[in-house]
Amino acid sequence: MSTLSGPISTAKDALSQAVQSHIIPNQEYLLQGSILDSSVEHLLHRLKGLCDNVDTGPEPFHDHEVCMSLRTPNQMALQLRVRRSLDCDAPHQLRYIGQAELGDRSRPTLVRSSIDVACTSTVMDFLTELGCRVDFEYTNRGYMFRKGRMKITVSKIFKTGSNKPGEMGPEPISQSYLVELSVLAPTGQDAIGEEMRAFAEQLRPLVQLDKIDYKRLG
Amino acid sequence: MDSLNNALSAIKNLRSSVGHVFEVLANGVQAHHGDDGRDSKFLVQFQELFNNVNLNLREVESVINGLTPPPAPFNLGHTAALAQETTDERQALYSQLVNSYKWVDKIHEYSFLANNILNCNSLRRSYISYSNKRGRLQISSCNNTSPQHVDKVLNELSLNSLQTNYKIWRPFGSNAVVIVNIGRILKAAIVFKGVMIEWVTVKGFDESLDVDDLWTESRYEVFRKVQEQTHSAMLHFFSPTLPDLAVKSYMTWIHSYNKLFTEPCRRCGKYLYNALPPTWRDLRTLEPFHEECKNC
Amino acid sequence: MGVTVLQPYSVPEGQTGPQTIEFLAKRLLALGAVQASTFIVDCETFIPNPQHGTPKTVHVLHNSEYPASTFAVLDTGTKQVPLVADALFDLLMLKMAPAHTSKKQTKIESKGARFEYGDFLIKLGSVTMAENFKGILLEVEYRPCVIPSNCWELIRELLQGFLGVSIPATIPPYFNTPSIMSMNHPKSSEIFNPNHTKQNDVYQPMDTINQYLEHFGNFRKQTMLSGGTGIGAPLRS
Repeated sequence: MSTLSGPISTAKDALSQAVQSHIIPNQEYLLQGSILDSSVEHLLHRLKGLCDNVDTGPEPFHDHEVCMSLRTPNQMALQLRVRRSLDCDAPHQLRYIGQAELGDRSRPTLVRSSIDVACTSTVMDFLTELGCRVDFEYTNRGYMFRKGRMKITVSKIFKTGSNKPGEMGPEPISQSYLVELSVLAPTGQDAIGEEMRAFAEQLRPLVQLDKIDYKRLG
Repeated sequence: MDSLNNALSAIKNLRSSVGHVFEVLANGVQAHHGDDGRDSKFLVQFQELFNNVNLNLREVESVINGLTPPPAPFNLGHTAALAQETTDERQALYSQLVNSYKWVDKIHEYSFLANNILNCNSLRRSYISYSNKRGRLQISSCNNTSPQHVDKVLNELSLNSLQTNYKIWRPFGSNAVVIVNIGRILKAAIVFKGVMIEWVTVKGFDESLDVDDLWTESRYEVFRKVQEQTHSAMLHFFSPTLPDLAVKSYMTWIHSYNKLFTEPCRRCGKYLYNALPPTWRDLRTLEPFHEECKNC
Repeated sequence: MGVTVLQPYSVPEGQTGPQTIEFLAKRLLALGAVQASTFIVDCETFIPNPQHGTPKTVHVLHNSEYPASTFAVLDTGTKQVPLVADALFDLLMLKMAPAHTSKKQTKIESKGARFEYGDFLIKLGSVTMAENFKGILLEVEYRPCVIPSNCWELIRELLQGFLGVSIPATIPPYFNTPSIMSMNHPKSSEIFNPNHTKQNDVYQPMDTINQYLEHFGNFRKQTMLSGGTGIGAPLRS
């Protein structure tokens, strides 16, 4: 059994190797903004022209997202998000998002650590049993565009489970659309920030994409 | 041959000049000879023509003298037979006619026997069948039927079975492709031409099988083997006269694969032989056999 | 993806584990099987920190047959919640580490050679816990079939053939548990049939993981009972 003499590499080994060689996309570069319902058509037209999916048109999506947190004594709560598609059959998405770093003015985008994991639909059960509590949930519906590595979403956020009787459809949370420009990249690829700033500049007349500080909003 | 041709044309010239002489003589004195001395003028013309005749005659004689008598009689082909006797009694036709009639009779007899023998063997792909009756028009063609008829046949099939479901596609115009799921065991794509089965592809339950890709083989050995067996059964069940029944019995047969993994071989009593379950199903009894066991 | 059955094999008296595995491998090769690389299934168990309420353990498993996936099973004591996720789930598990800690001494794995025999996939696994040899676990997968009850007889015949021992005719008890694979067919009426057990369900990679978890659990219990010398002890299937 000569073949057995060599070590069999485990999945753990492969993963730590991947972490060390910085190929795991675990940093999210993010710019956010919003646009009023009345002007969203203009933005969509502009994005259609600017982005890669010219021939296929924008990709519509309709997702349900639940935000949960795992609280441990003497520790910061661990925030997890579970997202599932309402319009197509796709794996559920479990996501960890770390603290956002705004950096100083010279830094073009907000950076936060992020781990995106596709998983089976049992994930909600799993997290609930693990001790996670639901913080809030919402659905968002809109369009996704791509430009190279960048992802641009234009979506409207709706409340869930709070339908007033007699009202059609879910209740929108505001009169505007959320616009997000994001890239998921491995650690140490800060150059993408400049690229994102340049792209945001192209949309400037319609929407102002910026680093949003949640703490200041709260 | 040239000299002969020359002689013939010289004779033609002589004849035409003689003919001219007689023509002039027959016409007599004409107006174009003028009023005075027209007799003498006529005479001069006649003399001229007569000299012409003499010249031509001399030419013919000289050409004929130049001819050499042919060494043998000329071959005249069929025209030589013109001179022969044509009465029936003198010909040997009768016995030949009797002979050829006997041969035709024998050919008839042998082809009839051959037809009978071939009819016993159903491994035929052609639908032409000979019979004694003349002018039979209702040849039941099985590769040129209406799509509605095919639909009807297949719908009857899908009503009869619970575990098997059928999906009919028409990716290439009117000819149907049926995707059959047999239990949770296997998938088969059956390609029809009219009501005739042209091709079968067999794949595992977890493999993809769609109309765009009907010709890739299964990744599993067992289903590749089953596909071979379905092809030989396809030939066995083919019946040009009762195409609907052929399809139905084929479907019944292929449905017996719903116990592909759960029945041991009828002969050796084992499940496995060379790591394969019994892949052959008997064509009448539907009993399972290993490929190696079916002929012992 | 086919049906997989796990079978523990007790090391005969007077022989070592590696000797037994080599002996079985020789038999497989003689049968006409071909060795096709190696495999590993590992299991790490996380237990909650004591100050943390109810005991809910999380088992995280990897199977080299599904290299891009991580399998997790949350055991609450009353029920088990399975989860299949991308391999990055391991990183997420580290984030949860403050709440759960890994018990290194219970890290258990089964690894060894992988053989192909026709449509069968046979794996000769030697089980080690914290680098100590614990026993032999055979994995037999029949790839063309997706329903366990359909091909159990086939697998049984193969096992009997090359192990030379009698295998009980009944399907392993794991397959007699009521089906909980409702996540794939939430509307299927079959789910509500109490007689509907796993053996009549479409086999999922998670079933392999559950079986490994069950057997790993047995090996661990054995270790605790016999005080860490489980080698050669007769095994319950």
